[in-house]
Amino acid sequence: MAIKKDLSVTYHGKEFMNPFCLSSSPVGSNYDMVSKCYETGWGGCFYKTVGIFIADECSPRFDQTNKEGLPWLGFKNMEQISDKPTELNFEYMYKLMRDYPDHVTIPTIMGSSEEEWKQLAKMCDELGAPMIEGNFSCPQMTSSAMGSDVGTNPELVKSYCEAVTSVTKIPFIAKMTPNITTMEIPARAALAGGAAGVSTINTIKSITNIDFENMTAMPVVDGKSSISGYSGAAVKPIALRFITNLLQDEVIGKTEVSGIGGIETWRDAAEFLALGCKNVQVTTAIMQYGYRIVEDMISGMSHFMDERGYNKLDEFIGCALGNIVPAEDLNRDFKILPQFSDDKCVGCGRCYVSCYDAAHQAIDWDADKRRPSLNDKCVGCHLCLNVCPVKDCITPGEIVWKEGRQQKEIALKHKYD
Amino acid sequence: MSKVVKAEYTAEAVAGFNARTAIEEAARCLLCHDAPCSKGCPAGTNPAKFIRSIRFRNVRGAAETIRENNILGGTCARVCPYDNLCEEACSRCGIDRPIEIGKLQRYAIEQEEALGMKILSVPAEKKAGKVACVGAGPASLAAAAELAKAGYDVTILEREAKAGGVLTYGIVPSRLPQAVVDADIAKVEELGVKFVFNTTVKAEDLADYDAVFVGIGLWGPNLPGIDGIDLPGVYAAVDYLKAARSGAEGFNAGNRVLVVGGGDVAVDCAVTAKLQGAEDVKIVYRRTIEEAPGNLNEFQYALSLGIGMTTGMAPDSIVGDGKVEAVNFKGFRDEAAKLTLSADTIVFATGQKAEAADFVAVDVTDKKTIVADENGVTSVDNIFSAGDIVNGGKTVVEAVAGGKAAAASIIAYLEKKGVK
Ligand SMILES: Cc1cc2nc3c(=O)[nH]c(=O)nc-3n(C[C@H](O)[C@H](O)[C@H](O)COP(=O)(O)OP(=O)(O)OC[C@H]3O[C@@H](n4cnc5c(N)ncnc54)[C@H](O)[C@@H]3O)c2cc1C
Ligand SMILES: Cc1cc2nc3c(=O)[nH]c(=O)nc-3n(C[C@H](O)[C@H](O)[C@H](O)COP(=O)(O)O)c2cc1C
Ligand code: SF4
Ligand code: SF4
Ligand code: SF4
Repeated sequence: MAIKKDLSVTYHGKEFMNPFCLSSSPVGSNYDMVSKCYETGWGGCFYKTVGIFIADECSPRFDQTNKEGLPWLGFKNMEQISDKPTELNFEYMYKLMRDYPDHVTIPTIMGSSEEEWKQLAKMCDELGAPMIEGNFSCPQMTSSAMGSDVGTNPELVKSYCEAVTSVTKIPFIAKMTPNITTMEIPARAALAGGAAGVSTINTIKSITNIDFENMTAMPVVDGKSSISGYSGAAVKPIALRFITNLLQDEVIGKTEVSGIGGIETWRDAAEFLALGCKNVQVTTAIMQYGYRIVEDMISGMSHFMDERGYNKLDEFIGCALGNIVPAEDLNRDFKILPQFSDDKCVGCGRCYVSCYDAAHQAIDWDADKRRPSLNDKCVGCHLCLNVCPVKDCITPGEIVWKEGRQQKEIALKHKYD
Repeated sequence: MSKVVKAEYTAEAVAGFNARTAIEEAARCLLCHDAPCSKGCPAGTNPAKFIRSIRFRNVRGAAETIRENNILGGTCARVCPYDNLCEEACSRCGIDRPIEIGKLQRYAIEQEEALGMKILSVPAEKKAGKVACVGAGPASLAAAAELAKAGYDVTILEREAKAGGVLTYGIVPSRLPQAVVDADIAKVEELGVKFVFNTTVKAEDLADYDAVFVGIGLWGPNLPGIDGIDLPGVYAAVDYLKAARSGAEGFNAGNRVLVVGGGDVAVDCAVTAKLQGAEDVKIVYRRTIEEAPGNLNEFQYALSLGIGMTTGMAPDSIVGDGKVEAVNFKGFRDEAAKLTLSADTIVFATGQKAEAADFVAVDVTDKKTIVADENGVTSVDNIFSAGDIVNGGKTVVEAVAGGKAAAASIIAYLEKKGVK
């Protein structure tokens, strides 16, 4: 029988059947969509941001980046918050909460003034929402009173959080923008304003491609374009970095964080959990592939837990956080030389080219045999290992200790995909 | 002339994927809605789902999907005629070439083994019903696995010394290594199915069972009634392959070998002869290449081994003094054509016939194949049948599909009868 593990997790006092949620965006913007996503297996939904402001959208509004034929490395959107009437959105959420009591439906809201934030928070209170997410992070709002302009201003974040928490006891989660150097500052401000926690990242301000036909960016809207939010696989490393900063912060680290950004597989999700996120949220991968990706998230995560002997997600949530240390704390006493497998090598010479042009000229090339060999200039950077197209052809080999450094047992990585 | 491949009889002809190349191939998959590939698989192996699992880095889930849907997932990955099934249906054909579904299936099953996964299990509560499956070929193995997963007590009765049917005694190991067949069969054993070998089933052997599944395949030789057919050195394909595969004592694959036929079986015989050391091997087929039922890739493989092919000619007589020395052919459509080839061995890969299933009293056709519907239901209440003995000789995956469907009918029958 297909393996099934207990994937439940508690987040802000509410039990989620699994940590996989939709993030606030078009993927969860009406009753039928969200009900289909629940039927497919998603545990919760942060509903498309609802405001008093109703968005007037442009067309087209999406673009994507690719490399060597691989599409959707990253995704750019110029959408704002919901374009549906506020009452209709609340009606949908009411029905979702009624019809799917075991799933967690969470309104995401955005106001343009303290009054609006209060008004929306009261509506969520009347709805009986399990928690509320506040969007302080959309980078392409047509007004600077909303979105990431607010999210980079700690005073405004704090006052809007206070506005919300003054009218409701429901846990309030502030969704933070990555368009900032130090996210801990607005995140702390949100907590100071009464927020129970934060979620991140929202999209990153970007220009994906320039269109030479119209000499503007993509997507082209009547010959013009705008800077707007970037998401998808390409942003995951940035998201993980912000998550690490937040969870290593003394104050924020004591709260529960929801992780977002570039998640497509169970493995991506497990990475956010390993850093300490209690759940994860997804948009772009659903836009590309549909809700069905959750099936392999559930199955893959179950197999991972089974293999590792974990019975609950909590057994590995946060496990990796402490092992991410400041650069000055890394052990710099040794180098690990790459080891080349002559059998596996196909003789492409890519390691030689990269090492010569971009590293330390440490690979000699046998032109007759078409095989690389290491000379004594190698610094152990592993550029060659990263560039070699053949699996397990270049692997970590001999450990060489620097002159006069204390040798000891070190932890190594063995398996490379 | 291009380089001719030299290969070992038991060495596998096609290399598989690794973690990296598998993901690359899976990334070519279009992840279709209502995927045509899955509809193209007779046994319901669900390629769209397992390819998606590979792509989303859940190879364990991929192995699970395959093994749960198709007990012979490893075997099918090697021998399915994909180009008429899932791969032919693949939407990617509209762009360039189909996803290599069979090879991805093989990769997932190899990972199942490498990761030591144990996917299938039997329910804690056993059912009282006892079922016999006659024959240990793909149809019976599939039926037995489904029944065991549902909790029934299943016994397979087999005439030969090993399980697998054509998988073990027919298809060449370069296409289907015995280890792959054995690994699939081990999954059936792990489900608690009992195997009784060296037993040619008679009616009385079946008295103790609540239901019987008949999956005896086609093992009667089909030789033409031409002059010289009784000479030593004349073989029916199944006998030739079986002798080669089981390393029968005194078996000699021949040195100048002619294989008559145009299907995969003909290719298997020719490849067997070549890989067992025959110097000159030719396939002679009476129709054209376009009409040949065999898989083009297999013909190409034969060609790469240095095997020749002649079309349009049918055997007319075999000549020789006490053993085969030459064969006379005449044109099948071209009345002027005549051809004589020297040979010491001639193998007829011109189809197999049903042997009478006289241990059960079911309705049969004039060709002695068993009459059963697509759910394996025969003219007798508690007798079910599928695979080659019903469909007249098709494929492994269709035998698996038939065995699965028949198992569902058996379960319905036993439940209705109140044998719980
Ligand atoms: C040489 C060859 C190559 C082939 N290549 C391919 C291929 O590449 N791909 C593909 O999909 N298909 C191929 N086929 C067809 C495929 O093998 C068959 O369709 C499939 O094996 C049918 O399965 P089955 O269970 O119905 O019968 P079989 O595989 O024939 O198994 C029947 C079993 O019943 C046993 N048996 C028979 N009578 C009795 C009895 N009275 N008592 C007890 N046991 C008995 C037999 O010994 C045998 O083990 C090939 C066939 C041949 C002959
Ligand atoms: C088309 C689109 C619309 C979005 N709309 C919203 C929104 O209304 N509110 C919000 O908080 N985030 C919105 N987001 C941001 C996502 O919720 C998410 O934070 C971001 O895309 C990163 O996750 P991902 O890489 O999984 O897409 C939107 C993203 C996209 C791509
Ligand atoms: S995806 Fe649907 S809504 Fe969007 S442009 Fe295409 S057809 Fe229209
Ligand atoms: S990159 Fe890898 S395969 Fe290419 S030459 Fe170097 S070691 Fe060999
Ligand atoms: S039909 Fe082809 S492209 Fe579509 S899901 Fe199946 S394998 Fe992928």
